[in-house]
Formats: sequence, C-alpha cells, structure tokens
Amino acid sequence: MLKEIFSAEMLRLMGAGLLETLYMTAVSSAAAYAIGLVIGVVLVIGREDGIRPMPRLCRLLGWIVNFVRSAPFLIFVVFVMPVTRFITGTTLGATAMLVPLTLGGAPFIARMVESSLREVDAGVIEAAQSMGAGAWQLVTRVLLPEARPSLISGAAISVTTILSYSALAGFLGGGGLGAIATNYGYYRGNSQIMLVMIVALVLLVQLVQTVGGYLARRADRRIK
Amino acid sequence: MSEKAEKSIIKIRGLSKTFRGAGGEVQALTDVDLDIREGEIFGIIGLSGAGKSTLVRCINLLERPSAGSVEVDGREMTALTRAELPEARRGIGMIFQGFNLLMQRTAEENIRFPLEIAGVRRSEARARARELLELVGLSERAQAYPAQLSGGQRQRVAIARALAARPRVLLCDEATSALDPTTTQSILELIREINRSMGVTVVVITHEMRVIEQICHRVAIIDRSRICELGTPDEVFIRPQSEAGRRLLYPGGEPPQSAGACGAALRLAFDGEITDKPIIAGMVLATGAPVNILYASTRVIDGRTYGQTVLRLPADGAAERRMLAYLEAEGVTYQLLEEGSFDA
Ligand SMILES: Nc1ncnc2c1ncn2[C@@H]1O[C@H](COP(=O)(O)OP(=O)(O)OP(=O)(O)O)[C@@H](O)[C@H]1O
Ligand SMILES: [Mg+2]
Repeated sequence: MLKEIFSAEMLRLMGAGLLETLYMTAVSSAAAYAIGLVIGVVLVIGREDGIRPMPRLCRLLGWIVNFVRSAPFLIFVVFVMPVTRFITGTTLGATAMLVPLTLGGAPFIARMVESSLREVDAGVIEAAQSMGAGAWQLVTRVLLPEARPSLISGAAISVTTILSYSALAGFLGGGGLGAIATNYGYYRGNSQIMLVMIVALVLLVQLVQTVGGYLARRADRRIK
Repeated sequence: MSEKAEKSIIKIRGLSKTFRGAGGEVQALTDVDLDIREGEIFGIIGLSGAGKSTLVRCINLLERPSAGSVEVDGREMTALTRAELPEARRGIGMIFQGFNLLMQRTAEENIRFPLEIAGVRRSEARARARELLELVGLSERAQAYPAQLSGGQRQRVAIARALAARPRVLLCDEATSALDPTTTQSILELIREINRSMGVTVVVITHEMRVIEQICHRVAIIDRSRICELGTPDEVFIRPQSEAGRRLLYPGGEPPQSAGACGAALRLAFDGEITDKPIIAGMVLATGAPVNILYASTRVIDGRTYGQTVLRLPADGAAERRMLAYLEAEGVTYQLLEEGSFDA
C-alpha cells in the first residue's frame, strides 16, 4: 500500500502538484495583495473622517468587498468563470485558477490591510499632518511604514487563506495538491493520499505562518 | 522678558468652533479674539473641556474653525487651499502630550521626517537632525527607537522634530502633562531656551499654573469656550478679574480681599539655589507676623526648591521690613508685586 502511494509515478505527481500549488498561491497572492492593498488604503483614508474623504467610492468598495467575502469560494469560482475564460481562454488548470484566487483573495486582503492601518495611532497621523504631510505622504511615509509589522502578519494570514482556497479550487478543475486530493483521495476513495495531501497543506500553512511571524517580529521596532 | 517688537505673529478674530456629533452640538470655542506677539511664550490655561486644545488646533487648522479668522505670520490660514495648507503648516511646529513619534523610526529619522516631506536633500536633513539632537541633548541616542527612550527623551525628540523645518511658531498641547516633575522642569527649561536662542514664538496649553508661572510671558484663561482673562502671569494670578479666573486659580475659595488696609504682595522665586529649607515658616517665626500664601508653585526636586510663591504680607510697615530683611539674609530672590496700602 505504502509502495503504491510513494511509487515513483505518484511521487512525480505529488511533486508537480506541490509546485503547482506554490505557483498558484504565490502568483495570486501577489496579484491579490496589489489590489487588496489599494482597496484597503482607500477604505481607511476615504472614510468620512479620514485623511482624504471619498465617502461614495468608499461605500461602493465596502459593498463589493462584503459581497465577495460573503460568497462561498466555490460558488465564487463558478460565478467568475466568464471572466476567467475571457482572461485565460479556459476555466481549467492552475493558470485559470489564478483569476478567481486573485479576485476572491483581494477583498480578504483589503480587510486585513484596513484593520492594520486602523491600528496606527491617530496622534501620529495628526503630528505628521501638523508638519505639512499631504495625503500621499501620509500613506507612504506614515500609515504603511508604521503598520508594517501588522501588515506582514496580515499578509501571512492572507497567503494561508489563498493557499486553502487553491486547495478548494482543485475540486473545480484547478491543479495542485487540491486536485490530487480530489482526484485520487475523493473520487477513488484513497484516504491515504488524501491524508498525505492534508499533511502537506498543513505543513505549508505552518511554514508560511512561522516565516510571517518571524518577519513581523523582526520588522517591529516597538519591542526589544 | 523679551518684549521686543509688539508685532502680532498670530491674530485670531471672532473664532468659533462647533462640533456636531451624535450627542448633539458642542460649542468648543465662542467668538475668541487673541493676539500672540512675535517672540513671546504665550500660555493658555483652563479646566478640562474648556476648549484649549481646540483653540491651538485651529491655529494650524488641524481643526477647521466654524467661523472667524486665524492669521499666522501674515497668512490667513482659513483661506488656504488643500494644496497650500501643508506648506503653511511647515512654519508652525507642534508637540503633544502623547509625543506622537513615529514608532518605527529612530530618533534621528523622526527628526528628519518633516524635512523629508518638505523635499530637503538627504545630506542636509541629516546634518540638521544631528544639530537638533545636540540642541536637545540626545546626540548619543540618535539611533534609538522611541520605544527605547524615556518619556522625557521622547518629548525632546518631538521638540527637535517640531523645530526641524525652522518654524516661527511652536504649539505645545499639554507637552509636560505626561511627565514627572523633574522631567517637566527640564522640558520647560528647554522650551524657554529655544524661545530665547531661536526666537520661536511659543504657545503653551496647560492646566497647570506652575507651567505658566515658570515660562510664560503672558497668559490667557479660557473658560467654557471663551477667553475670560488675559495678562501677564503676575497680573492674572494675583488679581484675577473674572469669576472664572478666581475659580480656576483659587478653587479653595476667594483670595484675600483688598478691603481697606492691605499688605504688600511679594513674589519669592526659587531657582534651585535654596536647599529644602522652610523659608516661609522660618520667616513667620523669626518676625512673629503671619502671611497669606496667595499662590505657590514650588517643588522640591533632589532636595532643591524650584518655583515661586506669592505672599500677601501683613498690613504693617514694621513687620514688612523685618520680613524683607529676613529674606535678604537668607538669600531668597523676591520681587515686590504690589506696595502695601496702609498707614505706615
Ligand atoms: N472632535 C470632537 N468632536 C466632538 N466634540 C469635541 C471634539 N473635540 C473636542 N470636543 C469637545 O469640545 C470641548 C473642548 O474640547 P478641548 O479638547 O478643546 O478641551 P481642552 O480644554 O483641551 O480639555 P483637556 O484639558 O481635557 O484637554 C469639549 O467639550 C470636548 O468634548
Ligand atoms: Mg486638551
């Protein structure tokens, strides 16, 4: 039995699956972060009492974010399939999954960024304003740098969330460890392969969390 | 006191501020007129909620006035556009009760911050930061992060940062309220030193009389959103004209009324020369005559006395002479604020 699981062919399959998972997670995390960061910043500075009020845009973004966040990810994948096909030409495989992963992950990241930026002391922002900092300078030189440790931990959580989304996406024809778990573990009833995949995903999540926690601590100048 | 030019650097006219919140409207400032002269240290004192912070925050437009005008250094602040405001604010430094340093930047990087946002060259900004660290006595802590500094050191960094862009005005909102007496003393001395050497006009907000007594040239009392009294600390503290002023200064009751005969008012200044010795009790015992303590802001720090005490001497010429002689013998610096009015 063990031989069967760890046969050369199976190992090659799992190796490829791992690479695909890493590929999907890394690329869509980066893309989702870029989008989520911008939305998160707007959600903070655009509030009625923010440093650059944009109440209407803010309300619209908040609504979109809530909408996407409240849809179960599997349903969301199906929902955005037309977009996926339009961008990648297909709805199957790891590359196609980048689209729902990015679009589904961005609102999550926006909320993470928003809550990190909210932690920045209002007094510090006020002090910077009193020194003549404009909105752009407040964002790039005060909000983001001051929130850096919290942003890093938030990013680690976001990556693990997108990682788990990518595993879910295996059900709908995405690649990676999730697809192996689906095809071999679920449809063929091989619970051992299922278990190996779960262990692999858990280890990946642990790794990301540990590295993220370490980087966040190292970036924080408030302690020591 | 450096009463050079009588020119006003800050001119406030008809300033009102109303906050609209969930709990209804709050009138934080009502029709305030105020002139702050170039080069002076101007104090604003009042009870909590009187509107002190709102008043200073209207000066650099951290708070937008509901009505009235605020002119700083010849520029009408309320008329500035969003694009012009940052530039104008660079001419007005501000320090806060909570220091408000950037926690992820070193002391030196904090001081460089206002220069960075003003687009000053890096090398120049670094040199200026070094110079200011030297001025506030923190050269060796340049690379320390705020979390590694004491409260007093943090406020020194904040002062250096507020001065980096060479402002002509420094606003201090309860800058010493979070500090212990010794540290408060050293921060007040630093502010006075900056005022003297750099000619920066300083506006000090506080609820502590001794802060005003120690460094301010003039003081305004603000009570329930209005300025109710204005003058030198001596004028205001010894003979408050308004009901609110008396309540603030003598919460325990009215100061002695000057009906009929009245003794001289005397201010004793303690600058740390005198060690912890009961001067006033000694004087009363030695001369056998009582005095009224109108006001005292003395503190004993490290066994030395700092601050001031204002006394009302007895309406008796002989007793007064004996008391002055005693003080002179003890080497206490005093100033006659008011002659006594009595038959000598
Ligand atoms: N942003 C705000 N929104 C609503 N009300 C406010 C706001 N800021 C101040 N106030 C109200 O305005 C009044 C004056 O407040 P201000 O902060 O100027 O008082 P203060 O004299 O500085 O008091 P303290 O000594 O406690 O700092 C208070 O009644 C306060 O509750
Ligand atoms: Mg206040």
